[in-house]
Amino acid sequence: MTYFFTWAGLMICLAATLASSYVPMGAWNSATNMAISVAKALLIALFFMHLRHAGALLRIAAITGLLWLALLFGISWTDFGTRSISHAPWSAP
Amino acid sequence: MPTTPFDSTLERREADLLGMWAFLATEVVFFGPLFFGYVHGRLVQPQAFVEGSHHMHIVLGTLNTAILMTSSLTMALGVRAAQKGARVRIWLALTALFGLAFLGIKATEWVLELPDAASASGGEARFYFLYYAMTGLHAIHLTLGVALVAWLWLHAKRYSSAYHAPVEVMGLYWHFVDIVWVFLYPMFYLLERYNA
Repeated sequence: MTYFFTWAGLMICLAATLASSYVPMGAWNSATNMAISVAKALLIALFFMHLRHAGALLRIAAITGLLWLALLFGISWTDFGTRSISHAPWSAP
Repeated sequence: MPTTPFDSTLERREADLLGMWAFLATEVVFFGPLFFGYVHGRLVQPQAFVEGSHHMHIVLGTLNTAILMTSSLTMALGVRAAQKGARVRIWLALTALFGLAFLGIKATEWVLELPDAASASGGEARFYFLYYAMTGLHAIHLTLGVALVAWLWLHAKRYSSAYHAPVEVMGLYWHFVDIVWVFLYPMFYLLERYNA
């Protein structure tokens, strides 16, 4: 029964994310979409992938990938956020 | 009795699952650069990304999202059936069929979008590059998933309540591929829909 509720929750989230994208909210549209996507991912991870009842070992392994992604995003932004592409005088514009 | 490096079946089961979770962690980082490229492009050329998104087929994309999430339900039910030693074939078959339906609709979209993508330039070309690269990489993962689910279906007789690690591990992979799509859907289909 839990699985059907999880699926129903996913469908409600899908309807919500679709409906919200027709409401003009500017930057908040993206924020809403991302928040709903995170909620959907959590539903899938906790119930379908059984993380809710998993031991510490599996939970840590599941978080590790996201932690690495956050590190790589952060380190990459230190480059892209602080530098601009400058063309050499002899290169084509 | 065969010797194993594990103290208990519980420990062995956790080791099976840990292997897949470790693999999924590398998958997250594998997809990562494309997500980073998207975030960067979206911030640098926001209007071009909105233009590109308006060319997406919203009905097909939404239908596909619903199909993939339903396939995750049937996969989860299949894993539970395997744990109980009940029939898994029907669930595996449904999961693979939903996966194939998703791939069919996705391929249709790719063909429909090709003229727009081929004539795009600047930031919009970048949007289409990311779109084809990310949905393509996702589709490769799903194709592999369908093939492996079909393989499980073929060997369904091997699995019982005592031994079903392949089904369980495959379930984790399937749900991961579903989660990737959960993020791709709003990124490509839902940008400023109210202006479309």
